[in-house]
Amino acid sequence: MSPSVRRRVAVVLLTAALSAGCSAPGSNNESSDSGTGPIKIALVDAQSGQLSSLGAWELKGAKLAVDEWNNAGGVNGRPIQLDVFDDQGDPTVGTNIARKIASEGYIAMLGTAESAVTIAMAPILKEAAIPNITSGQSPGLIAVQSPFLFLNGPTSVTYDETLAEYVVTTKGYKKIALITNNGSYGKGEHDAFTAALASRGVTPVADQVVTTEQKDFSAALTTIGQQKPDLIFLGAEEVESGLIVKQARSLGITVPFAGAAPQGTPVFADTAGAANVEGTIVSSPYLGNDVSEAAKTFAAAYLAAYGEEAEMHGAKAYDGAQILLTALKTSNVATGQALADAIRATKHTGLLGDFAFDGTGVGITATSIGVITNGELVAEPS
Amino acid sequence: MQLTIQTFIGGVSLGAVYALVAMGFSLVYRTMGLVNFAHGNVVMVGAYLVSTFYLSTQVPFAVAMVVAIAVTGLIGVIIERALRPLENKDFDLMLIGTIGFGIVLEALAILIWGATGRAVPSPVATQPLDVFGIRIRTYDIMVLGIAAAATLLLMAFLQRTKRGAAMQAVAMDHEAATAVGVHVGRSNAIAFVIGAGLAALAGGLVGPMLYVSPAMGGTLGIKGFAGAILGGFGNIPGAILGGLAIGILDSFSAGHFQGYSDLVTFVVFTAIIMIRPTGIFGETTVNRA
Repeated sequence: MSPSVRRRVAVVLLTAALSAGCSAPGSNNESSDSGTGPIKIALVDAQSGQLSSLGAWELKGAKLAVDEWNNAGGVNGRPIQLDVFDDQGDPTVGTNIARKIASEGYIAMLGTAESAVTIAMAPILKEAAIPNITSGQSPGLIAVQSPFLFLNGPTSVTYDETLAEYVVTTKGYKKIALITNNGSYGKGEHDAFTAALASRGVTPVADQVVTTEQKDFSAALTTIGQQKPDLIFLGAEEVESGLIVKQARSLGITVPFAGAAPQGTPVFADTAGAANVEGTIVSSPYLGNDVSEAAKTFAAAYLAAYGEEAEMHGAKAYDGAQILLTALKTSNVATGQALADAIRATKHTGLLGDFAFDGTGVGITATSIGVITNGELVAEPS
Repeated sequence: MQLTIQTFIGGVSLGAVYALVAMGFSLVYRTMGLVNFAHGNVVMVGAYLVSTFYLSTQVPFAVAMVVAIAVTGLIGVIIERALRPLENKDFDLMLIGTIGFGIVLEALAILIWGATGRAVPSPVATQPLDVFGIRIRTYDIMVLGIAAAATLLLMAFLQRTKRGAAMQAVAMDHEAATAVGVHVGRSNAIAFVIGAGLAALAGGLVGPMLYVSPAMGGTLGIKGFAGAILGGFGNIPGAILGGLAIGILDSFSAGHFQGYSDLVTFVVFTAIIMIRPTGIFGETTVNRA
């Protein structure tokens, strides 16, 4: 490397270090709001990478709610400014963004859809007193015990309790195999579903753990196949779940799969192939766009705005944004602790059901069971 | 036993793809002494091009593949032309240049195809063969066949044609090659074009096995690079063996160590490299800096 280049690199590194230093934690502990001008809300989600489909749905759902409020005159006459940050599904990027939004005067955050990223960001947001409504569902989010963290849906425990009740008690499946990944979401699903099975006296016949970046599942699936299970539980995100189902079918495994939110999405079905996902059992708080009048209205607005069918993640983000905006209105655009208290006090009838937050930040504690039939997620009579 | 064989077969099919990626890395390295860090991203662009032509224009898979190889070959030419002024001058900048090209390609892919990615249906009948209880996907057999054919063609080109011999000469001693009238720049360009073509082949083949997204280049690039190092960097037969070895190693560590498979794969890889730093077949070193 020539001396001039070295000097230039040194300057670049120094500048980067200085700008990072400016937004170090603690430099702005109190999130402030000037009381005039637009209300700044940050939306943090993966807009690139393997989890970006989640981020895209989240953004669409949240933006729809914000646009509705802005068209109706905003909150207390002030417009809402929704700024998007790309966390790339990476906790390290997430923590940098957390410092950034704390130092740039955002009063609340929506997202992320990835539990691991939200958990990484939570301590910084707690210190900066910025309320966060996440779409994550890992029980790890509760374990953080942040009074500023709220969930816009049920946790894995709820999803998996409902699912275990259906597959064990209603359907009578006893030989159940598990395949989960070792990420934050997969780990939460693994623990919650194993516990739900144990309380019903069922021990999994196989328990395979894969990594989040794994592409070949021959070994895990062959092991599962040899146990001849009645049902295979999937605890992985959309794309990985799809690959697992696709490879399982090519290995001659014909039994149905079961899972939570990711297994109800079009990305899962597309990756696996429509014929391969037939009969998949899904535990979800939002089975489709015709579950209620509110859902039909939401789906129509979503279709008009984006030209595509709404799905669960968009609905969850829409509910989360509605709760935040309602809390801002009732609290007269409070910030910090007062805003968190207002969110906790908000009773909201949303697309996913009736929200009533408890001390842990969970607002909804029920899901329904759907089965993929002829390529559509069809509600199972409870 | 059935588990062992099934795991092996699963590893071989992805290993064949890693081998193609590794060959691209090695070919550019042996010719120029340069690690092309944009290679994984070229694989990704290749995967997108093949799936785009295959899905939207309904042309046969083979035709889509040929078109994609031609387009990515062009990308190879562009990268080489952009880096040529730095050749023999500043090697670090060339390396950083390839990283930059990788980032640009990923950003372009997000602009053109979006960040979400797409699933590609298999171009051959998906009913797997059943050999004594071992399931073999027909598509995997096709992938192995194509990878083998590409390897033979590349070896024949390097050893039997005048241009290939010229490239070998540049790899051995670029100054002596220049003295006997070999155009070094052209030779480098050909290495980049073939490398990019191999990347497109790998990307196109892996599309129906995995999920095509702008971020897919990362994992494939790293596994392919590890394969090239394992076989002996710059060595073509080494790249094939190394790629297959990484695929099989990955598959077995996934079976035995489950969630810790990546850790085990790379610990084993590091151990082998510590014992044999130049890889299985020995490194073909070129130093131009």
